[in-house]
Amino acid sequence: MSDGSDAGPGSDPDGGGDPTPPPNADALPAAGSGERGVHDRLPPALRAVVPSPGRGFPAVRLAVRNLSRQRLRAALAAVGIVIGVFAVVSLGMLGTALQVAATDELGGIGNQVVVSPNAEAGVESLNDRDLSAIRRAASGRGEVIPLKATGTTASNGDRRTVAQVYGTTDPRALFGESAGAAPAYLRGGAVVGADVAEALDLSVGGTVTVESNDYHVVAILPEATAISPVQADSAVVISPGEFATTGYSQVVVRADSAADASAVADGVRERLNAREVRVSVFSLSSLLDRITEFFALLNGFLIAVAAVSLVVAGVSIFNVMLMTVSERRGEIGVLRAVGIHRTEVLRTLLVEATLLGVAGGAVGATLGLVGVLAVALSTELPVTAVFVPTNALVFAGAFGFGALVALVGGLYPAYRAATDPPVEALRG
Amino acid sequence: MTAEPSAGVPDDGTRASDASETDGASETDDGPVIVGEGVVKEYETGGETVRALRGVEFRIDPGEFVAIVGPSGSGKSTLLNVLGLLDVPTRGDVRLQGTDVSTFSDTERTRRRKEVVGFVFQSFHLVPTLTAVENVEIPRLLDRTPAATRETACDLLDRMGLADRLDHYPDELSGGQKQRVAIARSLVNDPDLLLADEPTGNLDRETGDRILAEFERITDEGVGVVTVTHDDYVAEFADRTVHLVDGDVFADPAEAR
Repeated sequence: MSDGSDAGPGSDPDGGGDPTPPPNADALPAAGSGERGVHDRLPPALRAVVPSPGRGFPAVRLAVRNLSRQRLRAALAAVGIVIGVFAVVSLGMLGTALQVAATDELGGIGNQVVVSPNAEAGVESLNDRDLSAIRRAASGRGEVIPLKATGTTASNGDRRTVAQVYGTTDPRALFGESAGAAPAYLRGGAVVGADVAEALDLSVGGTVTVESNDYHVVAILPEATAISPVQADSAVVISPGEFATTGYSQVVVRADSAADASAVADGVRERLNAREVRVSVFSLSSLLDRITEFFALLNGFLIAVAAVSLVVAGVSIFNVMLMTVSERRGEIGVLRAVGIHRTEVLRTLLVEATLLGVAGGAVGATLGLVGVLAVALSTELPVTAVFVPTNALVFAGAFGFGALVALVGGLYPAYRAATDPPVEALRG
Repeated sequence: MTAEPSAGVPDDGTRASDASETDGASETDDGPVIVGEGVVKEYETGGETVRALRGVEFRIDPGEFVAIVGPSGSGKSTLLNVLGLLDVPTRGDVRLQGTDVSTFSDTERTRRRKEVVGFVFQSFHLVPTLTAVENVEIPRLLDRTPAATRETACDLLDRMGLADRLDHYPDELSGGQKQRVAIARSLVNDPDLLLADEPTGNLDRETGDRILAEFERITDEGVGVVTVTHDDYVAEFADRTVHLVDGDVFADPAEAR
């Protein structure tokens, strides 16, 4: 009877409806089941399905907890990732920024194709047929600017200087916006380059004499900064009608892109140089391609060197996880014995390793960005060259690679722990 | 080969005697928790084959308290591991609640361990960085029902008389308290079979009595309890004692000789 009253409070709510008198063996299993939570009453199949969506969360919580057990060790392992990601981000972003800045500096020259007569083949100038062939080759790919040019002496009173005289209908296309609108100089005006203007002491409204013809100066070009097929600083640009010759000494094609430029260059060669080499075609796009290639190579090399440090960090995570796993062998054996699945053990340990990478990667990437910005602000490197889409990729890529390296570093230790037979693990 | 029939005889004897004691429980429940027939476990050690179990028979009914005794090296731990699905027998038939365990995949075995079996390990095996209540929660650690788990764990610790020790770490608990935490942990998933390896080892008599009383309460709820012990006191307390000598089971120690 004393046994029965012991169990009474537990069994009453559930077993009360049972008509049979409650001898121990009969009533008490009911009391046992009465104590089960709602979760346990679910059919096993449902129980297996229901918890699965949120299982990642306890794994993260557990991983954080486990990492905090050996704070210093975890921090040191993460520092490896910090250094690696920092190196990749800073070098990668700096390389990209340099490349962007250099490409800006070189300006649009990569998009230009310069077609000139081939003097060796006896071609002295390009005729209208050549020009229309070039126009066909460049149709839809860019702007064609026929150019007459000759080297001669320009003077202003007593002052004289050697100048490159260009004849073109649209000086802005080659010499920039400061050359002003065409109509002004087409009526006896001239645009003068910076060196010529200085040598002849010219200013807008002055007069420059070229081969005994006077032209009034409508614009003075600023000093050239970008590389260009025309010598802008020593230029005197006048209307092509002022030239005695009918042919063109050069045709410049300003293509819409570097790819268009090489297509135009090929097209011109095909059309004009099929039988004899009438023209020489000079495209700067190949030069720019080389420059870009060089920068890409340099950048790739720097990132590769930095990536090596990340791999080393991965090895240190591997080492730390291996230590952790062997220290916790018995504990993991208990987990496995009491029904934590192999995959759950694996996942928890992988989350642990990956967390090191994520934390280290976040810190490293942030430090790298700050470092690159500091460099940009303290040098001539424009900050705008840092904020380009490629660098977003470098940033995210380095962070992701850091996390991945940590994950890979944790794979084998986690696998080993998860597949360790619990009996062995518990034995010691 | 002679081991099997000799092991079979005492088993039949114990089965008959059990039937009278646990009749009520086994009628309401669906038969024995775990049954083994001709269970052989061999290990390869340094090229030699060690037979830890030589064709043993066993049967654990709900609500039964069985003590396994025997000298060290007799295969007690191996038998406990087989019962707890931690180890697979080399040969022989083991049926857990009517299902042949050899048909279980590793995943399935892990799931059954979680749902059917409760372990009380030798030397407790509490996780030192987790509090008492967290240690109890371990089997459900990755379930998505933390609130329900916490409630169950607190209830169990309360039942073990440790309601005021929930947030204590293992090094702040006495041996008996640790053992009770370990028992609470083994009960968190409402097992049908509780396996305890030396549950009273290193404990004073009074604490041991408390643990045994707890086991009795558990068996009253229809849980089959199997304990490996060196302690004759525990063996006397059990419904049935199984003697394991050199991998064979005997109901009576005299038979072993």
